[in-house]
Amino acid sequence: MDELIEILEDIQPDADYETCTTLIDDGILDSFAILSIVSELEDAYDIRITPAEIIPENFNSAKALYEMVQRLQG
Amino acid sequence: MSFVSVEFLAFTAICTAGYYLIPKRCQWVWLLIFSYIYYLAQGPQYIFFILFATVVTYLGGLWAENGSKAAVPVTLLLDFGMLAAVKYTNFMIGNLNGLFGTEIREMKLLLPLGISFYTFQATGYLLDVHWKRIRAERNPFRFALFLSFFPQILQGPIGRYSRLADSLYAEREFDMDRILRGMYRIVWGFFKKIVIADNAALYVNTIFDQYATLRGYGLLGVLMYSAQLYGDFSGGIDVVCGIAEMLGITLDENFRQPFFAVSITDFWHRWHITLGTWMKDYLFYPISLSGWMGRFGKWCKKHMGKSVGRTMPICAANVIVFLVVGVWHGPAWHNIAYGLYNGVIIGVSGLLAKNYRDIRKRLGIGKDSRWFFIFQILRTFALVNISWYFDRAGSVGQALMMMRDSILRFSFSINVVDAGACWSGSPAVTFAAIIFGCAVLFLHSIMEERGTDVGEVLRQKPLPVRFAVLLLLVLSLVLIGSEPLSQGGFIYANF
Repeated sequence: MDELIEILEDIQPDADYETCTTLIDDGILDSFAILSIVSELEDAYDIRITPAEIIPENFNSAKALYEMVQRLQG
Repeated sequence: MSFVSVEFLAFTAICTAGYYLIPKRCQWVWLLIFSYIYYLAQGPQYIFFILFATVVTYLGGLWAENGSKAAVPVTLLLDFGMLAAVKYTNFMIGNLNGLFGTEIREMKLLLPLGISFYTFQATGYLLDVHWKRIRAERNPFRFALFLSFFPQILQGPIGRYSRLADSLYAEREFDMDRILRGMYRIVWGFFKKIVIADNAALYVNTIFDQYATLRGYGLLGVLMYSAQLYGDFSGGIDVVCGIAEMLGITLDENFRQPFFAVSITDFWHRWHITLGTWMKDYLFYPISLSGWMGRFGKWCKKHMGKSVGRTMPICAANVIVFLVVGVWHGPAWHNIAYGLYNGVIIGVSGLLAKNYRDIRKRLGIGKDSRWFFIFQILRTFALVNISWYFDRAGSVGQALMMMRDSILRFSFSINVVDAGACWSGSPAVTFAAIIFGCAVLFLHSIMEERGTDVGEVLRQKPLPVRFAVLLLLVLSLVLIGSEPLSQGGFIYANF
């Protein structure tokens, strides 16, 4: 989880990833940020993220992102 | 049957009255019947195209749900093949003739009204089924209503099945509040269309069509085009959403004060929102996450460093998406230039985002700087207006020439339009009507931007105040409104 938050802070520094659960709903992460995160997550965790996964439920919080990563790692 | 016609208002009134009088379980069927009557009234020859898209996508959805890998490409090929055939065949022939000196004759093709809108809506549905976000619709008639809902079919907003379907098929009681809300919104839409857009169209058409003789009036022309396009398109969407509201159906919003945008990216989050989100979900993400773009990203990271390498594929995908947006606006090179202009600005902004942040820090410009905020809005407005030159001009050459003349031969006169073309016989009165309309719209936009729901505020006012505002709007339509000049009533109805 700490590694994931580091990735997020590197891409979009102006957010509180420990507590925020509306990263998409509040427009904190735009499509550029989302794809940058996807690119880093794919490299860091050796996973493949498809367009079907790009839904607000998977990107609204660091926790949701972490759960998606774990699910894709199988 | 244009939206701006007595026939259309009567049609809407009969549809709405019947909708609440018939048994509730038949309400969605009633909407389907009226939607097809409306579409037939546009021209019976168009019906083949929407029926084709409906049958193909309905079957494609069921096929995709069964896990077939061929379902998506085959259905998309058929849907977009039809769109491309009617919209782009002559463009291709013209370019082939120009390139190779051939003499292939252009074909007489119909451009069915709203074809892009229902094709996009169908595609979104298919991909959502494929990605297991929704279940495929079993009832072909219910699916037919999703693609043909009559106020929406002509110019959007592009609906998503996950949000629209339940609303379309629900059973509803008559609700006077909802009817009034819808009526206010329809009148407001007509105000934007008839008072602002159709008056501004006189200036736009004169200046852009006679650009070779009226040199230097480009700036006036393009500012008027801003007013025309926003009034026409957002006014049309207000009418659509107002009718849907009267029927108890909530459609996605398509505009959110676009001229208060602080960047081109922000502008596209506020302008034609449903096209922007459609492009993002069904084109931008799939392209960005495709295998070949992934390989390009790895190559970029290796040769350009982590940060730039990560951003480069996103920028490239952006340029591709806006190229498609340009082509969607029309089969002509000036439209492609319009799309590329937007794509390149957004792509470069993405690449330089970190540099911008650093420069702002060095200059000591804080996040809450009011002056910088206003500067961003004005800068974006200027950039958007430059894009309109490409959008409205007949060619890239014309757009560039008008831009140059706007600076080097700047001219301004409200009498540039022919007095005979003005409903009042006076360009000054027409110009005053546009300024009045824009001032009202500006105030409305400021209130909405600050979070005030203007419609709700009005509804809470005493009856005489509500009546006076409604009367003022209706009188404006009659007294200072202009005849629609655009074919089909609305500009975007021709997409």
